[in-house]
Amino acid sequence: MIPATARGHASAPQPPVKDVAVHDLEGRCRAAIDGGGRLQFAYAWFPEIGEARRDGGAAASGAAELRYVVHPARGLVPEIWRSRPGGQAMPSLAAVAPLISWYEREITDLCGLRFADQPQSGPLVLLPGATSFAPPLLPGTAEPLSYTPEPYSLPEVSGPAHRDVQLLPFGPIRADVLESAQFTFFYIGEAILHYHPELFFKHRGMEKRFEGVTPQLGVVLAERVSAVGGVAHALAYCHALEAAAQCEVPPRALWLRALLAELERLYNHLHYLGHLCHTTTLKVGEAEGKYLEERAKQLNTRATGSRFLRSLLCPGGLRREPRLEEIATSLNQLQGEFDTYARMLETSTTHLDRLITTGMLGKQLALDQGATGPVERASGVDRDPRRDQPYGIYRELPLRVAIREGCDAHARQQVRIAETTNSIELIHATLEGLPTGPIRAECRPPARSEGLGWAESPRGSVYYAVHLDAAGKLARVKIKSPSFSNWRVFPYTVHDTNMMDYAINEASFGLTIAGCAR
Amino acid sequence: MTPGLLAAFWLWIAGLLAALARLPSVARGLIALGAAVGIWGAASGLPQGSGVLALAIALADQPVRLHYTPEALWLMAFGLFPAALAVALSTPLRAARPGWLAGAALSLIGALGVFGLQDGYSFLIAWELMSLGGAVMILSERASPESGRSALYMLALLEVGAVAILLAFLLLAEGAQGHVDFAAFAAGAPTLAAGVRVFAGVLLLFGFGAKLGLLPFYEWFPGAYASGSGASGALMSGIVLNAAFFALARGLVDWLPAGTGGLSGLGVLVTAVGVLSSILAALYAFQQDDWRRLLAFSSAENAAIAVAALGASLIFRADGHADLAGLAWTVAILHLSGHALAKGGLFLSSDGVYVAGGSYRLAQHGWLRTTSFTFGIGALFATMSLAALPPQIGFVTEWFTFQTVFQGFHLGTLGGRLTLALAGAGLALTAAVAFATFVKAFGIGLLGDGHRPKSPHVGPGYDGAVLLLGLAVLVSAVALPVWLRALDVADATTFGAPIAHTLASGWNLVPLTDTFAFISPSKLAIVMPLLAILPLLLLLNARRHAVRRTPVWYGGLREDPQRTATTTLTFANAMRTFYSFIYRPTLDTAHEHRAVAYFIHKLEFEHDIADVFGPTLFAPIRRAVWRFAGWLRALQSGDLNFYLALIGALLIVILALTLH
Amino acid sequence: MPLWTLYGLRQGKASTSWPKGDDGQSGLLGMPRFDPAKCQAGCNECAAACLPGAITMVEGAHHGPEVRLSVDYGRCVVCQMCVEVCPTGAFTASSDWAFGVRRREDLVWVRPGERPAGDGPAGAAADSGQREQVRSEIRRVFGRSLHIRHVDAGSCNGCESELQALNNPFYNLHRLGMFFTPSPRFADLLLVTGPVTYALRGPLEEAYRAMPEPRFVMAIGTCAVSGGTNGGGYACGHGLDGVLPVDIYVPGCPPNPAAIIHALLVLLRRMPQRVRQGQVTEERTA
Repeated sequence: MIPATARGHASAPQPPVKDVAVHDLEGRCRAAIDGGGRLQFAYAWFPEIGEARRDGGAAASGAAELRYVVHPARGLVPEIWRSRPGGQAMPSLAAVAPLISWYEREITDLCGLRFADQPQSGPLVLLPGATSFAPPLLPGTAEPLSYTPEPYSLPEVSGPAHRDVQLLPFGPIRADVLESAQFTFFYIGEAILHYHPELFFKHRGMEKRFEGVTPQLGVVLAERVSAVGGVAHALAYCHALEAAAQCEVPPRALWLRALLAELERLYNHLHYLGHLCHTTTLKVGEAEGKYLEERAKQLNTRATGSRFLRSLLCPGGLRREPRLEEIATSLNQLQGEFDTYARMLETSTTHLDRLITTGMLGKQLALDQGATGPVERASGVDRDPRRDQPYGIYRELPLRVAIREGCDAHARQQVRIAETTNSIELIHATLEGLPTGPIRAECRPPARSEGLGWAESPRGSVYYAVHLDAAGKLARVKIKSPSFSNWRVFPYTVHDTNMMDYAINEASFGLTIAGCAR
Repeated sequence: MTPGLLAAFWLWIAGLLAALARLPSVARGLIALGAAVGIWGAASGLPQGSGVLALAIALADQPVRLHYTPEALWLMAFGLFPAALAVALSTPLRAARPGWLAGAALSLIGALGVFGLQDGYSFLIAWELMSLGGAVMILSERASPESGRSALYMLALLEVGAVAILLAFLLLAEGAQGHVDFAAFAAGAPTLAAGVRVFAGVLLLFGFGAKLGLLPFYEWFPGAYASGSGASGALMSGIVLNAAFFALARGLVDWLPAGTGGLSGLGVLVTAVGVLSSILAALYAFQQDDWRRLLAFSSAENAAIAVAALGASLIFRADGHADLAGLAWTVAILHLSGHALAKGGLFLSSDGVYVAGGSYRLAQHGWLRTTSFTFGIGALFATMSLAALPPQIGFVTEWFTFQTVFQGFHLGTLGGRLTLALAGAGLALTAAVAFATFVKAFGIGLLGDGHRPKSPHVGPGYDGAVLLLGLAVLVSAVALPVWLRALDVADATTFGAPIAHTLASGWNLVPLTDTFAFISPSKLAIVMPLLAILPLLLLLNARRHAVRRTPVWYGGLREDPQRTATTTLTFANAMRTFYSFIYRPTLDTAHEHRAVAYFIHKLEFEHDIADVFGPTLFAPIRRAVWRFAGWLRALQSGDLNFYLALIGALLIVILALTLH
Repeated sequence: MPLWTLYGLRQGKASTSWPKGDDGQSGLLGMPRFDPAKCQAGCNECAAACLPGAITMVEGAHHGPEVRLSVDYGRCVVCQMCVEVCPTGAFTASSDWAFGVRRREDLVWVRPGERPAGDGPAGAAADSGQREQVRSEIRRVFGRSLHIRHVDAGSCNGCESELQALNNPFYNLHRLGMFFTPSPRFADLLLVTGPVTYALRGPLEEAYRAMPEPRFVMAIGTCAVSGGTNGGGYACGHGLDGVLPVDIYVPGCPPNPAAIIHALLVLLRRMPQRVRQGQVTEERTA
């Protein structure tokens, strides 16, 4: 038992906020990328705007502030760039950092800011044909969108054979119990020329729902942005608020938080391994994977009272003690079965045959387009926030970041298997090293404070940028979810492949649409 | 020569003159009437065959005689039915009509000659006339550099065939002491050495195969057919194909002797060529996206199936099974006669689609929903026949072909049994691919819905013509047990026993004996409507309930059916990948992007498949010929010294020869 | 190459035989129980802590100066905040999770002995008459089998995760004769999750139109019942009320697979409804 004097900070040191002039942005972005860094995400918000100013348009964009979260180079703490457009169109950074293109389009849709020279423009988060009187994220009540469906902008097909291409739409209501999204294939019989996913049918406007909510209650919303990543989202949210409040989370809470995060990783990876077997029609493999996931969820229930580990996290610590008695024994049983299962998966040649060289994601593509999580690590990119920007007590745990160079669906399966094994080890380590003490500290972020929090969810890195208003309530919450980043990458692994591999490729990425669309 | 055929001949001559005089409607009427009269003339000559008509002409001291055997009359009757309708409707391009009708008349006259002439010289003239007629038809329809090239390709390959036929005739005439009379060929062939006989058989196969579309000659089919219209196709795949097959069958079966017990090498070769051609033609038919090309390849495939059956006949005959040989031979004739009807029906429906829609491209426009149901019925029956679905004639003949091949176990030699077993496997593959091809043609070309065309009705007359041909397909199958007797005399003359009537036992069709297998389109034609009563009753019963109609389910959004319609490429691409060692497909996509390669905004896409024999056989030959011609150009060097040297060398050679 | 079939056979039967056995939810925290007797005057901690607005203050003049609470379980997201902040224990944690009901009113807590609003005698009689008709129709048409089409109308994927769990070896929905179908054309029941976003309303209505009659609709999850925490705003509706006619409401965030099975069996009259007027009871009529 580690004595109570051993402390840890909830989050790594807060990233510095730097003001960058609009005309300097592109240069600094280029410098960061050339130096091995990466743009993480971007968002806009309206500080100091009152209820009276609801006329949208120029007045709103005049008051907007853009934030870019940047990793200047590998291994360094991220920094935040702050820029004010002052009513003009911002320069688009998508030519330099392609992954930022989606964030810019989201800013245009939700905040009304325009970008000049975008390589790909057009509505993203709001479907074509959805109009609002004022930008939805402008503070104040937003009216419901009015919507008449319009066709998406798809690449034009030309050439003498252009009439031979069939535009095949799947969805938004898909066969089987799946989330709603529409995928358009440029299909020529077995081969896919081009692929366009329309993922924002499920856009609920979750970021807007945080506006005006008490920080302590905001965690209820954060857990429900993407239920299967609820712990990671709530953790990132809590980290952001704790950074804003500069409060210290008790050590016992930190250790328990790591336990919860790894429990979530466990059931998610088991689900995706089973789902992958479903797409390769390995029936017993699928049944076993889903059954192990159910056992993990029932373990969650016995330990915390919630299958999704909900209603435990709060800013400042945990709300109640989990029941830890049975976890170790249940986990040992699960581990034995999982080891057999993983060994069988890795030696089933028919299953592996469908996975090898399916959905190739090259390393450069993963870096350029902002892939994150097991998807990124299976393409040889060595990044994990638990190790690179450690939060909680991950520094004290035997974390092993799994990297594979295969770049295909098989590599992603291998990464998930390795991470599952490691998660079980981490859970045992937290149970052994758990200190005694309180589990909750006071966390009251001052008015007009802000914080950036992050966590590694089973699908990749989740970031929450939180801004509070003059009354100490939430003014703006920006959610950067891993599924949003990975869905951006996914189409590039589908172009010029074939239809038989598509379902396997999608299952190997293991993404949610609720997390992407928010 | 029956009076009907004579009348047909004169009507066609009159029609030709009218066409040349630029009176298209008169020419149309005359030629179509001639064809109709020809049908009657041919039918009236069955089952005995016609008498002999000696013409007052003699070519190089060879008197010209016309005599029509029963099988010739049978094939001619079945070929003239679609021809009559095709000529009556004629080419949809009005401006091309005079030239086209002239070509049609030439083809028909040539075919008449091919079926009936009994000596080598006049036969070759008629053969060339038939080819010329085809070329005239195609060239008058579309005089463009491409169509010119296709027509030239066709004529070049047909000329190669004609040379082979000529060589064969010379060899056979050798055995007949210089007579080019066909009867003399048959009498004199046994005196030839076995090797020479086989070689002559190969030359005949080669020569007539150029028109039938056996490998490697089927490659002129797509280009030539696609330069013309459906009406040209109906003529070329109907009567002309039948004439070519008749000539080949007569050559291999009547002129060349049976051979003593054992394996007939020629028979194995003919079967192999037939089966391989049918497989290749079927595979290429499946990949086409143009009505005419698809149907052209299908014609080559069906002709090859008939040739395979012919080869089986030769194998059976050499092994001493005259009855099985007769069965195979009769089956081949039945196959092509049914094929002529069905193919004519589909070619005319493609013309109807062209008149209404402006294009021969296979694309989903919902034709069946907008045109009259008679057109739909006719097209459906014709497609069913070509896809070998019961109870149509195509199914009957395909079934008979398989039954014939299955009788291979009667053979004494291992080689024969093996050949027929492999032939059966190859034919099964062909049948499967052909089925898929016609699902594609009918499903995408006629049935599938998409953007409705502006004028949704097929041209006037086409629905009636297609209905007639479709019904003919059905009736010929249902009434086959009755009509088969017409071929008895033909079988008796060729194989020594009247076999045709043994193919039917009551209303069942059987392969000689009813203990092996049987089918009965006649009974199916009664049973199928009776079986349909039950679902019809259920349908009527369901009408009592209110019907709520909802749009097609696409996943929640209403989609534009044109955008999401299956195209010919999406249907066929999987096979393209599977058989890529034959097709060698290419697929090229070029992307246009903005700023960085990730932001694609335009795709340029093209795809293609490679022919088998064009690049590997014809192109090298053509290059060799060019090179050789380049050397020979030295003769035109204009250098006087060179010419003098040549003359000197020639004198020396002549001197040496005379002194030797 | 491992022999999966042998491995599967050796693993044995993993299915529970619930409702006759273990429901797999031991330790689960369900909807909080409300005991107004413990309420103290002047306290509104629970209402302030309830983000989806399930607990609201209602001033009731004819009941004296006491302040009353209205608790609508159709809006409860099971976040346990009310249990945490209540100083007197009026809200207590429980393991009540089988909340599938046929009428929306049954989810609103009513003081025992009082009649819920809008439930007059005429309504009750018409209701039960209609119920008889539906019951016999279900028995006649479906026998014991049900085909379900699921539509995600904008959920957070928690309900999807639990619905996907229905086909895992533990719950094994097939043993009850219920199947998920790929197309609404074959479906008897439309299962909807999510608060119905603006973009998915059209496809949802299209799916309902595409179903042949007789057809039923079930709202799974608090979002589908009332909008929950995600409902409202510029992009979302407030659940299925007003969009489609609903036959069974199942609140929960998300309702666990056993609760979903319970609701399906309530629809088929194979299990009794457990909640009446916001309180957990046992319905005597089957």
